[in-house]
Amino acid sequence: MNEVSPAGEPLIRLRGITKEYTRGGETLRVLENLDLDVARGSFEALMGPSGSGKSTLLNLLAGLDAPTQGTVEVDGKRIDQMSEGKLASWRSNHVGFVFQSYNLLPVLTAVENVELPLLLTPVASSERRKRAETALRVVGLTDRMGHYPRQLSGGQEQRVAIARAIVNDPLLIVADEPTGDLDRASADDILRLLETLNRDLGKTIVIVTHDPAAAERARITHHLDKGKLRA
Amino acid sequence: MTFLGLAAKNLGRNKVRTGLTVLGVAVAVLTFLLLRTVVSAWTAGADHAAKDRVVTRHKVTFVMTLPKRYADDVRKAPGVKLSSWANWFGGRDPAHEDEFFATFAVDGKTYFAVVPELVVGEAQMAAFLEDKSGCIVGDMLAKKLGYALGQKVTLESGIYPATETPWTFTVRGIYTATARNVDRVSLMFHWDYLNDALPEARRDEVGWIMSRVEDPTRTADIGAGIDQLFDERDIQTLSQDEHTFLKSFMAGFSAVLTAFDIISVVILAIMTLILGNTIAMGVRERTSEFATMRAIGFLPKHIAVFILSEAVTLGLLGGALGLVIAFPLVEGLLGRWLEENMGAIFPFFRLPLPVVGLAFALSVALGVLASLLPARTAARIKVTEALRRVA
Ligand SMILES: Nc1ncnc2c1ncn2[C@@H]1O[C@H](COP(=O)(O)OP(=O)(O)OP(=O)(O)O)[C@@H](O)[C@H]1O
Ligand SMILES: [Mg+2]
Repeated sequence: MNEVSPAGEPLIRLRGITKEYTRGGETLRVLENLDLDVARGSFEALMGPSGSGKSTLLNLLAGLDAPTQGTVEVDGKRIDQMSEGKLASWRSNHVGFVFQSYNLLPVLTAVENVELPLLLTPVASSERRKRAETALRVVGLTDRMGHYPRQLSGGQEQRVAIARAIVNDPLLIVADEPTGDLDRASADDILRLLETLNRDLGKTIVIVTHDPAAAERARITHHLDKGKLRA
Repeated sequence: MTFLGLAAKNLGRNKVRTGLTVLGVAVAVLTFLLLRTVVSAWTAGADHAAKDRVVTRHKVTFVMTLPKRYADDVRKAPGVKLSSWANWFGGRDPAHEDEFFATFAVDGKTYFAVVPELVVGEAQMAAFLEDKSGCIVGDMLAKKLGYALGQKVTLESGIYPATETPWTFTVRGIYTATARNVDRVSLMFHWDYLNDALPEARRDEVGWIMSRVEDPTRTADIGAGIDQLFDERDIQTLSQDEHTFLKSFMAGFSAVLTAFDIISVVILAIMTLILGNTIAMGVRERTSEFATMRAIGFLPKHIAVFILSEAVTLGLLGGALGLVIAFPLVEGLLGRWLEENMGAIFPFFRLPLPVVGLAFALSVALGVLASLLPARTAARIKVTEALRRVA
């Protein structure tokens, strides 16, 4: 599924990352001179207190935001200096996003939501539908394809969102507190699903979480505090 | 699912809001159409005026009359092919107090040659010329008031009050018209009949003289030539081509027409603002959805196209609905009523096609205009910040 690459070469390599926000003349340094490697096919978690910069870091390695300083390399490609247009197309080909509040489009059915990323590709419409259905089968929602988000439970919505994240067959899945809005049982379902994607489909997964149970499933957990990674 | 399908689905999200917006656009388009139709109907007579016709009237005002002998002089003026004259009679049928229609005393032998857009059958024309008290009425007037051939019609006039005998005419002809914008609710009778019955002091006066010229490109010059004939006489004249004449007649209403023009534009401006506000509201509500789409890889231009296509659809639907209401309303109800009851002012009250096209094009164009700002805002959202706000 993933391209073969030299053993030991990490999929994601962050070097000297500093991220600052400027608001009304004041500069807030959120990440400071931070290095991070994520191995290919790994399942890693980012933990840390609120405001420590977890989401910021995740956004940087997913190509949603650019660092103030430092380099972001994913699959051998520098993404920190890409133009907005290039980056958007890079994201659509390489990254699947899972959000805390699912972020499905309410006017689309489950299968249509999963199809959404494929609209950006040259895939024919019948093939789009087929791939979306396959992705929904992977997350175990074959019987809910025509349901609208409001007709689904939180856990089911998150499964649809995960199907949407994998429909383009990305290298990397990033999930910002994917179980934050779910009860224990649904959260465990989602975590098991992510584990399966990692183990069986070889997806590299990085999640941000406050949940120790979630972190336990990750192979590596990074602790972020005041803009730095703690060993 | 397709990209435009997604845009369409968003319109169905809040059906009440979409419905009200479409209705709002429709009402604005309808109002615009009505106002514009009034303006164009009002000026239609002037716009369709014969270009080869010169009207000569008293220099001071068309209310004042000219000596009858002027008509003979005009006929001999250089460039004039034919001429005739008429008086405004101001008649009213006491049996139909509320109906207003134009009544003219005309020179029966020449009038219909100078005004060929009024069509009278040969036999009827002969009967009219034969009968000094005969009259000819428009077919729409005949239909409305039930005038039939041979019927006697008695009229009252404030301008020419009847002395011993009332003004009684016999309907000898019913005219139709060659063009839709020609008034078909008028009544014409013999000027001689009027003149002979008047007291000595008011005899041999005509309201205006109408001439057809040989060369329509020289109408203005020929008119000036006519006026020159009377420069040294006790009463001077003003000769204008019919278009200018009608224009000067309507100049009195120009303030109203200008107001209509302005209001029609203001209404569209208000519509644009309301539409813009509705679209902006819809965009604000969907900030996190747009951010999600951007994260997935959609570009700012995709988002902008999205919002523009929604606005265009709203404009199209509203414009179409406005037209769908306007056609039966104007063509069926209002137009017919106005033509029948106020035919002298609105001989042809119909939706002019260019105005219809303009209204439709404007509703779409203004939809685009209204969505430009919201589309720009949505295209420029900072994805990471917009996503934070959801969580
Ligand atoms: N766009 C921004 N402008 C200004 N400050 C920002 C912006 N985004 C994040 N911050 C600040 O950066 C810091 C880190 O934010 P971040 O969202 O990465 O934290 P987090 O670890 O994900 O927190 P949480 O667990 O609450 O989600 C916070 O202090 C936040 O206020
Ligand atoms: Mg966060």
